[in-house]
Parts: sequence; C-alpha cells; structure tokens
Amino acid sequence: MNLPRYELKAEKSLIIFEFISDGIKGQIPKIIKFDETTLKDVYNLAFGYKDSETGEIDDKVVSNNGDSEQVLATVVAAVYAFTDKYKDVWVYATGSNVARTRLYQMGISKYLNEIKHDFNVFGLLDGEWHKYQLNTNYTAFLVKRKEKLSKHTTL
Amino acid sequence: MTTTIKKLNSNNIPIVRIDNKLESLKNKPIFQQKVNKANEVLRTVGLPKK
Repeated sequence: MNLPRYELKAEKSLIIFEFISDGIKGQIPKIIKFDETTLKDVYNLAFGYKDSETGEIDDKVVSNNGDSEQVLATVVAAVYAFTDKYKDVWVYATGSNVARTRLYQMGISKYLNEIKHDFNVFGLLDGEWHKYQLNTNYTAFLVKRKEKLSKHTTL
Repeated sequence: MTTTIKKLNSNNIPIVRIDNKLESLKNKPIFQQKVNKANEVLRTVGLPKK
C-alpha cells in the first residue's frame, strides 16, 4: 500500500516497532508489538502510546492527534515488514474497545482491495472466521500474507 | 519529518530503521492483557478452515 505513513524503527527481530505520531497535539511516540500466542505461528498485533518520560506503554489511551489514517497506514507497514520476515505466520488483531475495533475495520475496509492483493483477510463473526466482507461488523481480524513478496528494507 | 515521509511515501516497500534500544521492550509483557484475550478467542475459534 502506498499511503502516507511514518518512519518505522524496530529492533533486529522486527517484533517491536516504534514510530512518532506527528499531529495536532504534537509528537507522540507509539509502540507496535507482535506477541506470540498459544497457537503456533499466530501473533497478536497490539499498539499503544509510549510515555516518553516513564517509558510506560498504554493501549487504551486515545491520542486524538488528528492523524489516525497515517497511524493505521504505519501499523499496516509494520505488518508488511513483520510478515516479510516471518512468512508463514498469522497476525491477529482487535481493538482495545468496540470503537477502536470499528476504527481498524474502517481502515481495512477502505483499503481492502490493496490489502487483499497481499493478504488473506478474515473477520471474526459469531465465533467463526469468515472471509472479510465489506459492511460487516467483526470483533477481530486475522491476516496471512500471500506468497510473492517484495523484501522490506532495513537501514 | 516531511521530507522523510515524502521519501517513504514514494516507496511502496516498508523501510525499517534498526534501533537496538527497542530490544529492552522485546521480552516485557507490555500488551499482556490483549495477548490473554487473543489466546482466549483463539482457543475457542482456532484458525479459519481451509
């Protein structure tokens, strides 16, 4: 996807990413993490605000920095980098609340054609995974990268 | 920042700068509550059927 996004930093295993949201409230550091789950090759995607003074991370803080589209595009870029390194993994994501899940859904729906080009996308509805469809409210999302990939670049 | 973003935007491939300082967060359970919730859901629903 070729959308406006922020510069990403990561440690060498590409499990933890950091970027700076730069919006109406100033510069806000954000952390993205891919955590192993109890299912083999399934990782949980989470991201949140990093307090630059204490280093504490909170995924419930709503920054309202006026750049949510750019933030989501940056998270998607991290998913690309992660799944470029770990090719056979699934990435599970859900919001920390219903509103946040809807925000993710809006982002996926808006760019579904581009995302489907590179990922198989599923939504969780009534306790079952379904191929992602527009205009359906899901409670969680699961993606797996399709083969045929370009490499990410590290600096 | 603007120049960097413009440069990034002209490139469809994610560019990731390696920062070893982030290593310190790697083994911290910073999103443990979300991971626990994910484990609970995945235990029940598993993965999509092929």
